[in-house]
Amino acid sequence: MKYVIIGAGIAGAQAAKTIREKDNAGEIVMISADTHVHSRCMLHKFIAGERDEKGLDFTEKDFFEKFNIDWKKGVRVEQVCPQQKEIVLDNGEKISYDKLLLANGADSFIPPVGELRKASNVYGLRNLSDAQAIVKEAETAENVLVIGSGLVGLDAAYGLLERGKKITIVEMVDRILPVQLDVHAANAYQKLFENAGVRFVLGQKASEAVCEADGKIHKITLDNGEELACDIVIVAAGVRPSLACLEGSGIQCDRGITVDAGLKTSQPDIYAAGDITGLSGIWPNAANQGKIAGENMCGGSETYIDTYAIKNTINFFGLVTLCVGRIQEEEGDQIQIKEDKTQYKRIILKEGRVEGVLLQGDISHAGTWQYLIKNKIDVSKIEKNIFDINFADFYHVDEKGQYEWVS
Amino acid sequence: MKRIMIDYQKCDGCKNCSIACMQAHRETQGTVYDLDLTDPRNESRNRILKDADGQYKPLFCRHCDDPKCVESCMSGALYKDPESGHVFYDETRCGSCFMCVMNCPFGVIKPDAVTKSKVVKCDFCVNAGGEPSCVASCPKQAIYVEEV
Repeated sequence: MKYVIIGAGIAGAQAAKTIREKDNAGEIVMISADTHVHSRCMLHKFIAGERDEKGLDFTEKDFFEKFNIDWKKGVRVEQVCPQQKEIVLDNGEKISYDKLLLANGADSFIPPVGELRKASNVYGLRNLSDAQAIVKEAETAENVLVIGSGLVGLDAAYGLLERGKKITIVEMVDRILPVQLDVHAANAYQKLFENAGVRFVLGQKASEAVCEADGKIHKITLDNGEELACDIVIVAAGVRPSLACLEGSGIQCDRGITVDAGLKTSQPDIYAAGDITGLSGIWPNAANQGKIAGENMCGGSETYIDTYAIKNTINFFGLVTLCVGRIQEEEGDQIQIKEDKTQYKRIILKEGRVEGVLLQGDISHAGTWQYLIKNKIDVSKIEKNIFDINFADFYHVDEKGQYEWVS
Repeated sequence: MKRIMIDYQKCDGCKNCSIACMQAHRETQGTVYDLDLTDPRNESRNRILKDADGQYKPLFCRHCDDPKCVESCMSGALYKDPESGHVFYDETRCGSCFMCVMNCPFGVIKPDAVTKSKVVKCDFCVNAGGEPSCVASCPKQAIYVEEV
């Protein structure tokens, strides 16, 4: 049996490991454009100079040797041909497969504003190659413009602060981290970044950007006419599943690749996992999908059940935040807030169920909230302060000593 | 694998296990008599919770068969040791993202109180011969080690 995995992110790596556990003799080929296995969540540490390429590797020691995986790196897949059961690489090589996993992730989305897509000093922050290019460009650059104040935008700024750059962040909405946080929690981060020297321009959009003779953008014009000087532009405006190589393959796609509950695509023997499915952009979910796809590629019948993905943790300047579920207030919500100088906690309750949790400053033992929210567990009968609810209220130990939830 | 089994009905909430854990993981030398309970660096990996009826419910890392903390670890710091079956944590690899805190369905894991740069998690007292100090200190045998 020959297994081919496209992508060396967590979904691909997890699938490869799972396949090897099930099938000791099969051939496993992994293909990636990336030349180093790396965790995208740590790219800011590379930009800051805190870790080198090796320090971003999330796999165990000697991963490819240990699990006997043939890793072809630095090559891209140009075409997937389900009829011939083969893929075509950008170096012309054709690779056949018995089972194929598409785990080639997503690409940064650069909005079609002015000449952003054409300029040579505009980057996304998605791959190690982006971070390497940003570091190189930063050697001579002074002014950095970041478009988008989500987690990736702030990551980029956080890393570049270590290099002493002058950073401006432009955000369409009137506050930072609008998807993850409420105003109060967002303000706390805004202050920390501002104290470190970052300038935020909120409620504004980039409207014009023209390449100069050197092929670079040196200023960006905003909706209000303000002009911002820049030597590097980092665009953190979301990602799109990497579907380009699937053109003409007949593999059904919507926002991402369409998969069934077993992560099978519309074509036989082809599976998909991770960001390319568009199901979630969250690491643990991608890892879980990789595991399930791997099992099923070996004849298993696992299903992707734990699909909940409205969850994030944030850590900048030692201020940690956890947010799960809904952040925006709706009619009929009961909002509970607990605040002191070390923490801010906000819970959204509706009809006896927790629909959203935001914890800032202290996130200790907070894993239970995700479980409560995603399983819509009724907490109205528990005679406790809502902030004191914990696993003790749903506690069961099975005969093997593992915990189980009962409610 | 060896797991710390829990008979919660025997627990009378004395918290000897928590003190033993703090003592086993303190950075300084010394005996339990000079353990500084007010030093935030001395954190317990286990915790005695109470439900709404006042019943004690010991919260100890299960070193799960399918550990959700490991699945959520984006740096490779958390891993399930294939030999012992225990979930270990390599602080030097940790990226301080705390997705493990978010993903442990039982709320066992927490960031360290002082630096907020690492997590506090049971290591089965592997550096003390793999005999958990909490178990040795329990006067009620509410926790005990068993091969599962």
